[in-house]
Amino acid sequence: MICNEAGSLIAAYADGEVDSAQGRSIEQHLRSCAACAAKHQEVLALRARIRAEVPYLQAPSALRERVRALVAQSAAETPRPRPERDRWRWLTGGALAGCAATMLAWVIGTSVVDWRANEDVAVEAVQTHVRATLNDHLIQVASSDQHTVKPWLSARLDYSPPVKDFASEGFTLIGGRVDTLEGQRVATLVYRYRLHTIDVFVRPELAHAPSALRAVRGFNVAHATGSGMDWLAVSDVSADVLSAFVQRVASEAGAR
Amino acid sequence: MTEHTRFEALVLPHLDAGYNLARWLSGNVNDAEDVVQDASLRALRYVGSLRDGDAKGWFLTIVRHTFYDWCRRNRPTEIVKDDGTAIEMAVDELATDPEQAALRSAESRSLSEAMAELPLVFREVLILRELEELSYKEIARIVDIPVGTVMSRLARARGLLQRSPLLRAIHGRAAGGAR
Repeated sequence: MICNEAGSLIAAYADGEVDSAQGRSIEQHLRSCAACAAKHQEVLALRARIRAEVPYLQAPSALRERVRALVAQSAAETPRPRPERDRWRWLTGGALAGCAATMLAWVIGTSVVDWRANEDVAVEAVQTHVRATLNDHLIQVASSDQHTVKPWLSARLDYSPPVKDFASEGFTLIGGRVDTLEGQRVATLVYRYRLHTIDVFVRPELAHAPSALRAVRGFNVAHATGSGMDWLAVSDVSADVLSAFVQRVASEAGAR
Repeated sequence: MTEHTRFEALVLPHLDAGYNLARWLSGNVNDAEDVVQDASLRALRYVGSLRDGDAKGWFLTIVRHTFYDWCRRNRPTEIVKDDGTAIEMAVDELATDPEQAALRSAESRSLSEAMAELPLVFREVLILRELEELSYKEIARIVDIPVGTVMSRLARARGLLQRSPLLRAIHGRAAGGAR
């Protein structure tokens, strides 16, 4: 084994992350290469020092009690909505492995942290849109009548989203549903534009607005604020159409 | 089992781990407590979907998400664009001018302090590896990055720690003594 090859594996070896065959050849290399052996020792020495000198901080008992009390209170007060079972499933592996793999593949190749942080909601919105489309539960209340959709949504949320049909411009309201975004229940308005479906997630205006326009896995995500709400549109229509549409909805939905 | 009892059985045992992570990410006790409290409520909401397998990783993921939400609101500058920017920042902080470096060394910063000064992206993988003793795969899942990125960030984290002035002095002595 040459140093180049061993170099990137030394730390993995020190972390117990190589298989036994690799382990044996690294051991052999370490015996004959002082530079790599020193590197290996460095990782071990640093670990020993961290474990000896850096405290593992335990939750103060007051915090533990407060959390228990909060949880008990919160569990007693609110009749829980159905847990959004899919939301975490991809984290724990398994059922949505395929979807998770696709998402992971998308995430791979970028380690841009704030970019990804900003993307979280866009990714989640696209996931939600895709899931609704695939599982064919795009619409929980089917109606092109804004006066039917709005009260249906309001009854299921702690806010009342403005709802407006834009059929005269080619964007026909076909219904709505309730989704979860960033842990909050949100209203989703579903529009039809030619052969495309557009999901518009509506929630009370946020302090930190996501960035204006993104493409995620081939879907466009456009954002706007207006009428006291935060509007996030997801669709496979072109970016400029989607962007113009969400701006329009945001500024006009609240108007009579 | 109700959500409440599931929380007590599955999540509460990992409150220390959650707190340790939040404390190391946020750098102070009060913010850590806020983050853990908020994360616990989020965890309660989704505990119905948690399978028994990896409650710790699951809760740490929530704590981390909650922290980043908090951080975006309160300290957006800490969230840097990429690993390269993080490195530049760390180099600036750790060793811009020799005089300051000497001063810091004289102050004899502890290893904890040096770790606390690591850029967030490197600090979090190091905490998860060395204090939580999680595998690369578990870390990758929590931080939502590929295993290869876990490895490169760990290497950077260790390299930066070893380059921080105080540690360099100690390493120098240790190496000298060993010979």
